[in-house]
Amino acid sequence: MAIGTGILRVPKEAKKGEVVRVQMVITHPMSPPRKDPATGQEVPPHTLTKLELFYNNRLVSTLNMGAGVSANPFIAISLKVEESGVVRIAYEDNKGGKWDRTAEIKVT
Amino acid sequence: MDRRAFIALSAVAVVGFALSPALQPAHASTPRLEEELQRRLGVRLAQIREVAEIKITAPTIAESGANVPITVESDIPVDRVEHLWIFVDKNPVPWVTDLKLTPMNGQVYLSTRIKMGETSNVRAIIKLKDGSYVMATKEVKVTAGGCG
Repeated sequence: MAIGTGILRVPKEAKKGEVVRVQMVITHPMSPPRKDPATGQEVPPHTLTKLELFYNNRLVSTLNMGAGVSANPFIAISLKVEESGVVRIAYEDNKGGKWDRTAEIKVT
Repeated sequence: MDRRAFIALSAVAVVGFALSPALQPAHASTPRLEEELQRRLGVRLAQIREVAEIKITAPTIAESGANVPITVESDIPVDRVEHLWIFVDKNPVPWVTDLKLTPMNGQVYLSTRIKMGETSNVRAIIKLKDGSYVMATKEVKVTAGGCG
């Protein structure tokens, strides 16, 4: 899978006021800065740096991360839903890549 | 060396060995962590209160340091909480991730997978709205490091 591909998973339905888990997996190498063992050259890091979680276009959380997070990060964040809406995650890496994913929750 | 002197000397050696970890200041083994805390949070480790309300779920022994599942949960109401950090004391960069929380989160919760270079303490540090810091610590043993 290409770098930046993300899977966003939320429950399809929830009760009003319920706290749900927003889970995501993003394809990304998350490589730290290091020396190439073959050539001895410095290899710059390539990591996701920031992820924002929106619900109905309101910012819920901002997650900052670095090379300490495992490759192909799995992240789960809690979200309290009061009305039906769209969950959106927007994330970017240190090489200028920007992506986003959306998912819907129906609140009954 | 006669027998008496030998016994006296070995007794001194044993006592010295037993005391040596206790003689070191508690934070001497984590200068990188202290530096990172100072830079990112502006506090020293000694200023952070250890509380029982934060729960870290992580394996006691991790199979691979490249992929250690960590879950941080807390009973502290989310509207009293501002920010959550995860640190690994002995990583080359102790800061792993941090999350800004709002009341819309409903609960203090973060689950992810992290890299660990070696056996170390994992810390979850929370900044409360009143400006104070609280934390929980859990040691995770790593048999194969994950920073490479």
